[in-house]
Amino acid sequence: MVDLTQQLEDQVQHAYVTKTPLKIQAGNTKAHLGRETSGEVVDMANHTGVVSYSATELVIRVRAGTKISQLNDLLAEQQQRLPFDPPSFNGEATIGGTVAANQTGASRPWFGGVKDSLLGLGLINGYGEAMQFGGQVMKNVAGFDVTRLQCGAMGSLGLITDVSIKLLPEFKAGHTVTFEMTAEVALEAMLRWANLSLPITGMSHFQGLLYVRLQGGDSGVTSASNFLGGEQLNFVAAKEFWQALKEGRLLQPTSNQILWRWSGASDSPISAVSNTSLINWAGAERWILETGSNPPLEGLTQHKGGDRLAQVFGAVSPPQQALQQRIKYAFDPHGILNAGRLYSWM
Amino acid sequence: MNTLSNTSNDLVKQAGEAGNVAALISDLQQLLPASGLIMSTESQRPFECDGLAVYQQLPLITVIPETVDQVQGILRLCYSHRVPLVPRGAGTGLCAGAMPHAEGVLLVMTKLNKILHINQHTATARVQPGVRNLALTDAAKPMGLYYAPDPSSQIACTIGGNIAENSGGVHCLKYGLTVNNLLQVTLVTIEGKLITLGGDGLDEPGMDLLSLFVGSEGLLGVVVEAKVKLLPRAPRVQVLLAAYDSVTAAGDSVAALIAQGIIPAGLEMMDHLAISAAEDFVKVGYPTDAQALLICELDGTDAEVEEQLAVVSQCFKLHGAKNVRVAKDAAEADALWQGRKAAFPAVGRISPDYYCMDGTIPRSKVGHVLTRISELSNTYGLRVANVFHAGDGNLHPLILFDASVDGELERAELLGGDILTLCVDVGGTITGEHGVGLEKMPQMPYQFGDAELAQFRRLKAAFDSEELLNPGKGIPTLKYCQEYRSLQHG
Repeated sequence: MVDLTQQLEDQVQHAYVTKTPLKIQAGNTKAHLGRETSGEVVDMANHTGVVSYSATELVIRVRAGTKISQLNDLLAEQQQRLPFDPPSFNGEATIGGTVAANQTGASRPWFGGVKDSLLGLGLINGYGEAMQFGGQVMKNVAGFDVTRLQCGAMGSLGLITDVSIKLLPEFKAGHTVTFEMTAEVALEAMLRWANLSLPITGMSHFQGLLYVRLQGGDSGVTSASNFLGGEQLNFVAAKEFWQALKEGRLLQPTSNQILWRWSGASDSPISAVSNTSLINWAGAERWILETGSNPPLEGLTQHKGGDRLAQVFGAVSPPQQALQQRIKYAFDPHGILNAGRLYSWM
Repeated sequence: MNTLSNTSNDLVKQAGEAGNVAALISDLQQLLPASGLIMSTESQRPFECDGLAVYQQLPLITVIPETVDQVQGILRLCYSHRVPLVPRGAGTGLCAGAMPHAEGVLLVMTKLNKILHINQHTATARVQPGVRNLALTDAAKPMGLYYAPDPSSQIACTIGGNIAENSGGVHCLKYGLTVNNLLQVTLVTIEGKLITLGGDGLDEPGMDLLSLFVGSEGLLGVVVEAKVKLLPRAPRVQVLLAAYDSVTAAGDSVAALIAQGIIPAGLEMMDHLAISAAEDFVKVGYPTDAQALLICELDGTDAEVEEQLAVVSQCFKLHGAKNVRVAKDAAEADALWQGRKAAFPAVGRISPDYYCMDGTIPRSKVGHVLTRISELSNTYGLRVANVFHAGDGNLHPLILFDASVDGELERAELLGGDILTLCVDVGGTITGEHGVGLEKMPQMPYQFGDAELAQFRRLKAAFDSEELLNPGKGIPTLKYCQEYRSLQHG
């Protein structure tokens, strides 16, 4: 429960004056994501605590260094949850890093990503100015949406100091059913079921099995489960599967392998993304484990493993690159914040 | 009300050169067929304002392109001649965001109105910006799908305009605003270049430029194509109406329901004045003796709706509803909605003019804020009807006035300003879904500090360094803020 905003501001202001590169870090659980960066560490780990939590409003505002695991525990006491269900990476991931790296769980197609629950945030830009954008209310269109812009920016536009999040009630019931299916058949089933207004919160295909998670009210889940059929997965096994999926434990690259991530239209045929090891998000996210350093397909993200100084997030069109560089300049004119973490040219 | 627009126009006039304008018009004539150029005062009249008609301004010239190439050409010309450009959809906006610029080009996007593709498998649609919001939902209907954002202007408003304003609507409580239902946008920059933000998937690597662009009010670029999410129609929709003796009790009901973990598809509130006006107009059987009404829509499978219905009815009764009416069938549900949807025109019948505000507040503050608005209404001697999205705390106080009475318009504006600052004071915002435009510029320095405003201006410059796109709207200049603050404290 410590507010280090002033100290963080001072550190960035000093770095701005001296043009010192800064490396933003808290739990250091996402070093495997994005590109490597170096610089004087800005330690967010002790900038923690709940600024405000109104359970009746379903809104929480927390400092960026607060751990996802602690946040989940706190919300569970009020039967509430983070709608985007992010990984906690051995309990060490923080909410600031989660927003910056845009980390979302298996319910993404139905409950949205980080941006869909993010109401506002505090940001210290590359001048060392602490600012507040958005707020704690449900709808807010005053000014540009600097809040959501930070999702996926990997800290390149500023230090996120606090975030305000829209919460949802915890599900009353949950149930997972599985189906033995090839990837092709599973994809067809996923596309069909995704559009049926069922209480589905996860559809993934892994090692010949399609996993469908149903969560919601008791009767809604039961009737949907009866409708779908399939093999019921016991509570412990279901929890372990979805946990392992979320935490990225299902596919671990060995030292000579790279884990690639594909994000695209859910109806893209299986053959369009060859050698897929895992299908998630009802077909919209696919994972490929490959030996060697060449991307098996254009447009993939080099998620884990391999050379972390490569252009891991893929190529960007020249006009968009120029635009992103101007946006970076608008927040961080000296380029001191997480330089190169997102792209080599930024 | 138009003192601000005059100021910004004067500045541009001083900066502009007459030669630029003549050359621009000549170039536009080369680029577009005669039917795509409107220059006479009379023909431009219908374009002089958007839905907030108290702000009016004739543009220098109005252009109506039919192709993306033409849009690129128009922006290139405006850029090379350094002439301001204001993009416009159907002109249904409520913040004067599409009010033309006296020395600029008005770019009307309504002829780029094709639905390019609806993909039933992925529940997505690729559309041009001039497609009407409801036309998309109608086109998706045979596939059992619909487009969730449903602003009350949905019969006329366009997807391009919805993106510019981040439009919401009655159902955004559960299904989100435009920003939550958009996958990709192709835009034309002020230099005339095409840039695509977002992608075919649910997210793209890197900073979320798509979300930044949504709600940017035509200040960053012009949308020429969008890919949106569609949703499956719920098998069952159930509408309830609850009547209350006080707005506070109705407000408490809303907070209690949300706190119980029920997120209805829609949860709307009307106060006594709005109820009476609506009932007089559409005669759907609203209890006119009630001080407040809640209209609640639940959707889902039969099982889900039944489960929620019991909880909602009980919650409303527990928090003081004297009467809860559950629609028996679709016809009755439509009738219950009809009164809410007709509320604005209904209020228009009982007053020569009305001014619609758009603040958002924490749900728990609804009772307090409505009481305070009522006090302000008495102080200013102007009636205020309240019709709003209670579920997400988005207020739409309608200030009733008569513009033909000397000073009433100015009083309405002052009362509106007080309501917006009240929203900020309780932790809310000056605009939930209508946008800042020209209208709410005076309140921007109240909601944001100098550092945030300067950051907005630097972001604007990253897209539009010459400040040609919709200048004088959305983000106040440093000079504007200084003048505003000296007036407030002076």
